[in-house]
Amino acid sequence: MVVKHSKKSMTGNDAAAFAALYAQPKVISAYPITPQTTIIEKLSQYVDEGKLDAEFIIVESEHSALAGCMGAAWSGVRTFTATSSQGLLYMAENVFWSGYGRLPIVMPVVNRCLAPGWSIYQDLQDSMAFRDAGWIQIYTKNNQEVFDTILQGFKISEDKNIALPYMPCLDGFVISHTTAQVALPTAEDSFNFVGEYSDPVIEVDTENPWIYGGLVDPEKFIKDRTDLMEAMERAKKKIVDMNKEFGEYFGRTHGNGLIEIYGDDVADLTIVSMGTIADEAQDAVDKLKEEGLSVNEMRVRTFRPFPEEDIVEFAKKNHKLLVIDRSVSFGHAGQLQIEIEAVLQRNKVDTSVEGRIMGLGGEDVPYTKIVAAAKEALRSKM
Amino acid sequence: MIEVIQISRGGSGGVTGAKILAEAAIMYEGLYAQAIPKYGSERRGAAVQAYVRFDNKPIRIHSPVYEANHALILDLSLLDRIDISTVDKDGVIIVNSKEIPESLKNSGRKVAYVDATGISQDLGLVLSGFTLVNMTMLGAFVKGTDIISIENLEKAIISFWGEKRAPKNVAAAKRAYEETKVVIA
Repeated sequence: MVVKHSKKSMTGNDAAAFAALYAQPKVISAYPITPQTTIIEKLSQYVDEGKLDAEFIIVESEHSALAGCMGAAWSGVRTFTATSSQGLLYMAENVFWSGYGRLPIVMPVVNRCLAPGWSIYQDLQDSMAFRDAGWIQIYTKNNQEVFDTILQGFKISEDKNIALPYMPCLDGFVISHTTAQVALPTAEDSFNFVGEYSDPVIEVDTENPWIYGGLVDPEKFIKDRTDLMEAMERAKKKIVDMNKEFGEYFGRTHGNGLIEIYGDDVADLTIVSMGTIADEAQDAVDKLKEEGLSVNEMRVRTFRPFPEEDIVEFAKKNHKLLVIDRSVSFGHAGQLQIEIEAVLQRNKVDTSVEGRIMGLGGEDVPYTKIVAAAKEALRSKM
Repeated sequence: MIEVIQISRGGSGGVTGAKILAEAAIMYEGLYAQAIPKYGSERRGAAVQAYVRFDNKPIRIHSPVYEANHALILDLSLLDRIDISTVDKDGVIIVNSKEIPESLKNSGRKVAYVDATGISQDLGLVLSGFTLVNMTMLGAFVKGTDIISIENLEKAIISFWGEKRAPKNVAAAKRAYEETKVVIA
């Protein structure tokens, strides 16, 4: 039985705020930054109106915003914040601390460029800079997926077997400030799905005090890092299972949770990308097919943990991948391309890979540009 | 898919108008829709673009509208900022103007025009010196095109503004709907 939904018209940030509201976090600790601000504005309004029974901690910086969430997570309560761009950078120390410290925190990043070149528009440079921080990272493609992904996030992050902070990413403005339809379940059904955070990953016990984050020898240190690596491995299955469980309850899924395939199973060219570019690429696939060209698409939804097995399985059936990155690892290539090449190499898959950097600094990437890039990639294959 | 490009001056309510148009389509017409504000220079008085898409299936495009079916111009002095040649030749140019704008005369284009500034000022829709022509021009849009009914626009306006603030806004849209002239220029 799928629960009832009502059709709503809202921005991506509104969808994020609804998901957080319905999950009923006990602590929100946040600092405003464009284009994230309207998420926490809405949440502070919900708290003020009494719709959300949470402690809203107003802080002086993003570093403190995440520190507030870390304190809440250590206290064993559900916690939420959101940020973007320079704000995420300012948080950096605590982003790594909460990742390596295995703290369940849900923090959407509304993707925005990094300065200089001051810009409020979208690219993925900000969240990509934190791919090694021990956070689960999921890149969403539309307003509906933002709601769904955040709701799922609490259940994934707060699972004792996982215990990892969770970063749903949404393209600034293109999702965050764009109004579109969202099928909204009721607050009750949403909360029933997420459930109470009743069995905390970690909880301060004043009767039984302990020290956290003290000096450790290499042996203990390596054990912690190995645990983290294993938790990331387990998170892959958890994300797939959560996608199924969510589908049974709400009646929709997002690919298999890790990746989403669009079009034929085998094609001459596979477009690979993330976020809204990947959504727009589906229109590109249709246009190319109309012209008699054989192109399909693989959207990488989960970037951390990196879905090696799923990517390899699909890539090895196909002939050539065109990987579109909206960020760059300077001195190398786009991060998605680098990682895809690595997993293909490791698995001895000889599908060729061509990389393109598109959409930096909020540059529009309409399907027409994707069509043109795909045609070039098809030609260079001949 | 039907795509609309809108241009307005910051402070006149264009971004809100685009949002309400999408809401009317989604909530009351059973369509899929999208309202994209083009942020960046959204200062008061500056030219602000927004884009609206309507479709009967989910919309996967996220980029701005390049080739619109219709153009919605909230301020006559911004008409020349829109390259009308990119707008579908069978589409409608909906413009806030007392008469057919000079540049569109004998163009063969379908033009819907109304004195939205006059109507809004009559109804007292002025905020900090800016005349709010957004709801008025939505009435003109509904008259000039065939996507959203005036009844459903009214519902969306009431839902957005609430019972208290809605009446003036509904009145503006309805009056514009009645007074808009649709002609082949």
